[in-house]
Amino acid sequence: MIELHLIILAIVVSFGFVFSYLAMKEHDLLKALALSSVQSTFFALGFYILAAPDIVLAYLAIAVGAYTALVILAISKTERYEVGE
Amino acid sequence: MKRDVIVAVSFLLAFLFMAYALVYANVLGLGGAELRPLGEFYLSHSFAHEGLTSHSPEVVTAIVWNYRGFDTLFETFVFFLAIMGAFSVLRLTDEQEKLVKELEAREPHRQMDLIVRAITKLVVIMIVAISASIALHGHLTPGGGFQGGSAMAVASLLLFAAFSKFTLERKGLTVKHTVSAYALGLALILATVLAPVFLYGGKVLEINLLPGEMGLFNLDVGEYLAVTFGFLTVFLVLGVSEWIFKTVLRGEVND
Repeated sequence: MIELHLIILAIVVSFGFVFSYLAMKEHDLLKALALSSVQSTFFALGFYILAAPDIVLAYLAIAVGAYTALVILAISKTERYEVGE
Repeated sequence: MKRDVIVAVSFLLAFLFMAYALVYANVLGLGGAELRPLGEFYLSHSFAHEGLTSHSPEVVTAIVWNYRGFDTLFETFVFFLAIMGAFSVLRLTDEQEKLVKELEAREPHRQMDLIVRAITKLVVIMIVAISASIALHGHLTPGGGFQGGSAMAVASLLLFAAFSKFTLERKGLTVKHTVSAYALGLALILATVLAPVFLYGGKVLEINLLPGEMGLFNLDVGEYLAVTFGFLTVFLVLGVSEWIFKTVLRGEVND
Protein backbone atom coordinates (compact mmCIF):
# COMPACT_ATOMS: atom_id res chain seq x y z
CA MET A 1 0.00 0.00 0.00
CA ILE A 2 2.75 2.41 -0.97
CA GLU A 3 1.10 5.65 -1.98
CA LEU A 4 3.30 8.07 -3.87
CA HIS A 5 1.50 11.26 -2.92
CA LEU A 6 1.80 10.49 0.79
CA ILE A 7 5.56 9.99 0.42
CA ILE A 8 5.85 13.30 -1.44
CA LEU A 9 3.75 14.93 1.29
CA ALA A 10 6.05 13.59 4.03
CA ILE A 11 9.18 14.77 2.19
CA VAL A 12 7.76 18.22 1.42
CA VAL A 13 6.46 18.87 4.93
CA SER A 14 9.69 17.68 6.55
CA PHE A 15 11.68 20.02 4.30
CA GLY A 16 9.36 22.81 5.44
CA PHE A 17 10.01 21.78 9.03
CA VAL A 18 13.80 21.94 8.55
CA PHE A 19 13.58 25.36 6.91
CA SER A 20 11.40 26.72 9.71
CA TYR A 21 14.00 25.51 12.24
CA LEU A 22 16.80 27.20 10.26
CA ALA A 23 14.74 30.40 10.06
CA MET A 24 14.36 30.42 13.84
CA LYS A 25 18.10 29.96 14.41
CA GLU A 26 19.18 32.63 11.90
CA HIS A 27 20.40 35.94 13.36
CA ASP A 28 20.31 37.88 10.10
CA LEU A 29 16.62 38.77 9.90
CA LEU A 30 16.53 39.14 6.11
CA LYS A 31 18.05 35.68 5.65
CA ALA A 32 15.58 34.31 8.20
CA LEU A 33 12.76 35.85 6.17
CA ALA A 34 14.03 34.20 2.97
CA LEU A 35 14.24 30.84 4.76
CA SER A 36 10.72 31.25 6.11
CA SER A 37 9.36 31.97 2.62
CA VAL A 38 11.06 28.80 1.34
CA GLN A 39 9.29 26.96 4.17
CA SER A 40 5.96 28.49 3.10
CA THR A 41 6.52 27.30 -0.46
CA PHE A 42 7.00 23.73 0.78
CA PHE A 43 3.90 23.95 2.97
CA ALA A 44 1.92 25.27 -0.01
CA LEU A 45 2.97 22.17 -1.97
CA GLY A 46 1.79 20.12 0.99
CA PHE A 47 -1.61 21.82 0.94
CA TYR A 48 -1.87 21.09 -2.77
CA ILE A 49 -1.23 17.39 -2.17
CA LEU A 50 -3.84 17.47 0.60
CA ALA A 51 -6.32 18.68 -2.09
CA ALA A 52 -6.99 22.15 -0.70
CA PRO A 53 -6.52 24.38 -3.77
CA ASP A 54 -8.20 27.42 -2.25
CA ILE A 55 -5.77 27.37 0.67
CA VAL A 56 -2.83 27.10 -1.76
CA LEU A 57 -3.93 30.23 -3.61
CA ALA A 58 -4.25 32.27 -0.43
CA TYR A 59 -1.21 30.79 1.31
CA LEU A 60 1.25 31.41 -1.53
CA ALA A 61 0.17 35.00 -2.08
CA ILE A 62 0.12 35.84 1.62
CA ALA A 63 3.12 33.90 2.92
CA VAL A 64 5.53 34.48 0.05
CA GLY A 65 4.32 37.88 -1.12
CA ALA A 66 2.49 40.03 1.38
CA TYR A 67 3.95 38.68 4.63
CA THR A 68 7.53 38.89 3.33
CA ALA A 69 7.02 42.44 2.11
CA LEU A 70 5.43 43.57 5.38
CA VAL A 71 8.29 42.10 7.41
CA ILE A 72 10.89 43.65 5.07
CA LEU A 73 9.21 47.04 5.62
CA ALA A 74 9.26 46.37 9.37
CA ILE A 75 12.95 45.35 9.31
CA SER A 76 13.81 48.50 7.35
CA LYS A 77 12.47 50.46 10.31
CA THR A 78 14.65 48.62 12.86
CA GLU A 79 17.99 46.79 12.60
CA ARG A 80 18.91 43.95 10.33
CA TYR A 81 20.84 41.81 12.82
CA GLU A 82 19.50 40.20 15.95
CA VAL A 83 21.99 40.80 18.78
CA GLY A 84 22.30 39.45 22.31
CA GLU A 85 20.95 36.30 23.79
CA MET B 1 26.15 25.99 12.55
CA LYS B 2 27.19 22.33 12.58
CA ARG B 3 25.09 21.72 15.68
CA ASP B 4 22.12 23.33 13.92
CA VAL B 5 22.42 20.93 11.02
CA ILE B 6 22.55 17.97 13.42
CA VAL B 7 19.43 19.22 15.23
CA ALA B 8 17.63 19.78 11.93
CA VAL B 9 18.52 16.31 10.64
CA SER B 10 17.39 14.67 13.88
CA PHE B 11 14.08 16.54 13.67
CA LEU B 12 13.79 15.29 10.11
CA LEU B 13 14.42 11.70 11.15
CA ALA B 14 11.92 11.95 14.00
CA PHE B 15 9.34 13.36 11.62
CA LEU B 16 9.95 10.65 9.02
CA PHE B 17 9.63 8.00 11.76
CA MET B 18 6.31 9.52 12.84
CA ALA B 19 5.10 9.65 9.24
CA TYR B 20 6.07 6.00 8.75
CA ALA B 21 4.34 4.96 11.96
CA LEU B 22 1.15 6.82 11.04
CA VAL B 23 0.92 5.79 7.40
CA TYR B 24 2.30 2.27 7.21
CA ALA B 25 2.16 0.84 10.74
CA ASN B 26 -1.20 2.65 11.23
CA VAL B 27 -0.60 3.41 14.91
CA LEU B 28 -3.61 5.69 15.40
CA GLY B 29 -5.96 3.54 13.31
CA LEU B 30 -6.69 6.27 10.76
CA GLY B 31 -7.32 5.73 7.08
CA GLY B 32 -9.01 2.77 5.51
CA ALA B 33 -11.50 2.67 2.66
CA GLU B 34 -14.71 3.00 4.67
CA LEU B 35 -16.39 6.41 4.87
CA ARG B 36 -16.73 7.95 8.30
CA PRO B 37 -20.13 9.44 9.22
CA LEU B 38 -18.90 13.04 9.01
CA GLY B 39 -17.54 12.50 5.48
CA GLU B 40 -20.79 10.89 4.44
CA PHE B 41 -22.76 13.85 5.80
CA TYR B 42 -20.66 16.35 3.86
CA LEU B 43 -20.86 14.29 0.66
CA SER B 44 -24.64 14.18 0.76
CA HIS B 45 -25.32 17.69 2.14
CA SER B 46 -22.52 19.85 0.78
CA PHE B 47 -24.56 21.58 -1.94
CA ALA B 48 -27.63 22.30 0.16
CA HIS B 49 -28.47 21.87 3.82
CA GLU B 50 -32.18 22.01 4.72
CA GLY B 51 -32.84 24.05 1.59
CA LEU B 52 -30.21 26.66 2.44
CA THR B 53 -27.71 27.04 -0.36
CA SER B 54 -25.40 29.69 -1.73
CA HIS B 55 -26.01 28.39 -5.28
CA SER B 56 -22.40 27.44 -5.85
CA PRO B 57 -21.83 24.53 -8.23
CA GLU B 58 -18.36 23.96 -6.77
CA VAL B 59 -18.01 21.90 -3.62
CA VAL B 60 -15.29 23.83 -1.75
CA THR B 61 -17.09 27.15 -2.14
CA ALA B 62 -20.42 25.48 -1.40
CA ILE B 63 -19.13 24.13 1.92
CA VAL B 64 -17.40 27.42 2.76
CA TRP B 65 -20.59 29.42 2.22
CA ASN B 66 -23.22 26.95 3.39
CA TYR B 67 -21.46 26.07 6.62
CA ARG B 68 -18.92 28.80 7.28
CA GLY B 69 -20.48 31.94 5.81
CA PHE B 70 -20.43 33.86 9.08
CA ASP B 71 -16.87 32.74 9.68
CA THR B 72 -15.82 34.29 6.37
CA LEU B 73 -17.76 37.46 7.15
CA PHE B 74 -16.05 37.83 10.52
CA GLU B 75 -12.66 37.26 8.86
CA THR B 76 -13.41 40.36 6.82
CA PHE B 77 -14.11 42.27 10.04
CA VAL B 78 -10.87 41.06 11.62
CA PHE B 79 -8.97 42.18 8.52
CA PHE B 80 -10.73 45.56 8.76
CA LEU B 81 -9.64 45.93 12.40
CA ALA B 82 -6.03 45.03 11.51
CA ILE B 83 -5.89 47.58 8.68
CA MET B 84 -7.50 50.30 10.76
CA GLY B 85 -5.14 49.53 13.66
CA ALA B 86 -2.05 49.95 11.46
CA PHE B 87 -3.56 53.02 9.85
CA SER B 88 -4.35 54.75 13.15
CA VAL B 89 -1.01 53.90 14.79
CA LEU B 90 0.88 55.43 11.84
CA ARG B 91 -1.49 58.35 11.20
CA LEU B 92 -0.24 61.88 10.57
CA THR B 93 -1.96 65.24 10.64
CA ASP B 94 -2.42 67.24 7.44
CA GLU B 95 0.55 69.51 8.21
CA GLN B 96 2.77 66.54 8.95
CA GLU B 97 1.73 64.93 5.67
CA LYS B 98 2.69 68.10 3.84
CA LEU B 99 6.10 67.91 5.53
CA VAL B 100 6.46 64.26 4.51
CA LYS B 101 5.76 65.24 0.88
CA GLU B 102 8.45 67.94 1.01
CA LEU B 103 11.03 65.64 2.57
CA GLU B 104 10.27 62.84 0.11
CA ALA B 105 10.81 65.24 -2.79
CA ARG B 106 14.31 65.84 -1.45
CA GLU B 107 15.27 62.15 -1.41
CA PRO B 108 17.75 61.10 -4.11
CA HIS B 109 16.06 59.72 -7.20
CA ARG B 110 16.91 56.05 -7.66
CA GLN B 111 15.84 53.76 -10.44
CA MET B 112 15.94 50.03 -11.08
CA ASP B 113 17.50 48.46 -14.16
CA LEU B 114 15.65 48.64 -17.49
CA ILE B 115 15.40 44.82 -17.57
CA VAL B 116 13.82 44.66 -14.14
CA ARG B 117 11.33 47.40 -14.99
CA ALA B 118 10.31 45.90 -18.34
CA ILE B 119 9.84 42.40 -16.92
CA THR B 120 7.94 43.70 -13.92
CA LYS B 121 5.48 45.43 -16.24
CA LEU B 122 4.81 42.14 -18.07
CA VAL B 123 4.52 40.07 -14.89
CA VAL B 124 2.22 42.59 -13.23
CA ILE B 125 -0.20 42.40 -16.16
CA MET B 126 -0.23 38.60 -15.89
CA ILE B 127 -0.77 38.64 -12.12
CA VAL B 128 -3.63 41.12 -12.46
CA ALA B 129 -5.31 38.89 -15.06
CA ILE B 130 -4.86 35.76 -12.91
CA SER B 131 -6.11 37.48 -9.76
CA ALA B 132 -9.17 38.78 -11.58
CA SER B 133 -9.93 35.29 -12.87
CA ILE B 134 -9.51 33.81 -9.37
CA ALA B 135 -11.79 36.42 -7.83
CA LEU B 136 -14.49 36.71 -10.51
CA HIS B 137 -14.80 32.92 -10.91
CA GLY B 138 -14.82 32.57 -7.13
CA HIS B 139 -18.28 30.97 -7.13
CA LEU B 140 -17.33 28.44 -9.87
CA THR B 141 -13.76 27.41 -9.05
CA PRO B 142 -11.71 27.13 -5.87
CA GLY B 143 -10.56 30.52 -4.67
CA GLY B 144 -12.50 33.69 -4.29
CA GLY B 145 -12.26 37.27 -3.18
CA PHE B 146 -9.62 36.84 -0.52
CA GLN B 147 -7.32 34.71 -2.68
CA GLY B 148 -7.70 36.96 -5.71
CA GLY B 149 -7.24 40.07 -3.60
CA SER B 150 -4.04 38.83 -2.03
CA ALA B 151 -2.64 37.92 -5.47
CA MET B 152 -3.51 41.44 -6.62
CA ALA B 153 -1.76 42.85 -3.53
CA VAL B 154 1.38 40.99 -4.67
CA ALA B 155 1.11 42.73 -8.07
CA SER B 156 1.00 46.14 -6.42
CA LEU B 157 3.95 45.10 -4.23
CA LEU B 158 6.01 44.26 -7.31
CA LEU B 159 5.30 47.73 -8.69
CA PHE B 160 6.23 49.12 -5.29
CA ALA B 161 9.57 47.29 -5.31
CA ALA B 162 10.60 47.71 -8.95
CA PHE B 163 9.47 51.31 -9.39
CA SER B 164 8.70 53.20 -6.20
CA LYS B 165 6.00 54.41 -3.88
CA PHE B 166 5.94 57.67 -5.82
CA THR B 167 5.17 55.93 -9.11
CA LEU B 168 2.06 54.44 -7.52
CA GLU B 169 1.09 57.80 -6.06
CA ARG B 170 1.60 59.52 -9.41
CA LYS B 171 -0.73 56.97 -11.00
CA GLY B 172 -3.44 58.00 -8.52
CA LEU B 173 -3.00 55.29 -5.89
CA THR B 174 -2.63 57.67 -2.97
CA VAL B 175 -3.66 56.63 0.53
CA LYS B 176 -6.90 58.62 0.27
CA HIS B 177 -7.93 56.82 -2.90
CA THR B 178 -7.02 53.36 -1.64
CA VAL B 179 -8.93 53.88 1.59
CA SER B 180 -11.96 55.02 -0.42
CA ALA B 181 -11.76 51.92 -2.62
CA TYR B 182 -11.43 49.77 0.50
CA ALA B 183 -14.56 51.39 1.94
CA LEU B 184 -16.37 50.76 -1.37
CA GLY B 185 -15.54 47.05 -1.17
CA LEU B 186 -16.72 46.85 2.44
CA ALA B 187 -19.92 48.71 1.51
CA LEU B 188 -20.60 46.20 -1.27
CA ILE B 189 -20.13 43.32 1.20
CA LEU B 190 -22.40 44.94 3.79
CA ALA B 191 -25.07 45.70 1.17
CA THR B 192 -25.03 42.10 -0.05
CA VAL B 193 -25.19 40.76 3.49
CA LEU B 194 -28.07 43.02 4.51
CA ALA B 195 -30.01 42.91 1.22
CA PRO B 196 -31.93 39.69 2.12
CA VAL B 197 -33.20 41.34 5.33
CA PHE B 198 -34.53 44.49 3.72
CA LEU B 199 -35.58 43.24 0.28
CA TYR B 200 -36.91 39.75 1.00
CA GLY B 201 -37.51 39.67 4.75
CA GLY B 202 -34.99 36.92 5.33
CA LYS B 203 -32.09 36.63 7.75
CA VAL B 204 -28.67 38.24 7.64
CA LEU B 205 -26.41 36.55 5.06
CA GLU B 206 -29.28 34.48 3.63
CA ILE B 207 -27.92 35.08 0.13
CA ASN B 208 -29.89 32.23 -1.44
CA LEU B 209 -32.85 34.63 -1.54
CA LEU B 210 -31.06 36.85 -4.05
CA PRO B 211 -31.58 35.87 -7.72
CA GLY B 212 -29.16 33.27 -9.06
CA GLU B 213 -25.52 33.45 -8.04
CA MET B 214 -25.65 37.19 -7.52
CA GLY B 215 -25.09 37.08 -3.76
CA LEU B 216 -21.93 35.02 -3.97
CA PHE B 217 -20.59 37.02 -6.93
CA ASN B 218 -21.15 40.32 -5.12
CA LEU B 219 -19.41 39.04 -2.00
CA ASP B 220 -16.47 37.89 -4.13
CA VAL B 221 -16.11 41.24 -5.86
CA GLY B 222 -16.47 43.13 -2.58
CA GLU B 223 -13.86 41.02 -0.85
CA TYR B 224 -11.54 41.35 -3.87
CA LEU B 225 -11.71 45.15 -3.68
CA ALA B 226 -11.43 45.19 0.10
CA VAL B 227 -8.40 42.89 0.35
CA THR B 228 -6.52 44.47 -2.58
CA PHE B 229 -6.89 48.02 -1.36
CA GLY B 230 -6.59 47.12 2.31
CA PHE B 231 -3.16 45.62 1.74
CA LEU B 232 -2.16 48.49 -0.55
CA THR B 233 -3.15 51.02 2.13
CA VAL B 234 -0.91 49.33 4.69
CA PHE B 235 2.00 49.16 2.23
CA LEU B 236 1.64 52.85 1.36
CA VAL B 237 1.47 53.85 5.02
CA LEU B 238 4.43 51.68 5.99
CA GLY B 239 6.39 52.72 2.89
CA VAL B 240 7.31 56.15 4.28
CA SER B 241 11.05 56.09 5.05
CA GLU B 242 11.92 55.79 8.70
CA TRP B 243 14.14 58.88 8.87
CA ILE B 244 11.37 61.01 7.34
CA PHE B 245 8.89 59.66 9.86
CA LYS B 246 11.23 60.36 12.76
CA THR B 247 12.08 63.85 11.53
CA VAL B 248 8.43 64.74 11.16
CA LEU B 249 7.44 63.32 14.54
CA ARG B 250 10.23 65.18 16.30
CA GLY B 251 9.39 68.34 14.38
CA GLU B 252 13.02 68.96 13.50
CA VAL B 253 12.69 70.40 10.03
CA ASN B 254 15.03 73.22 9.13
CA ASP B 255 15.21 74.39 5.54
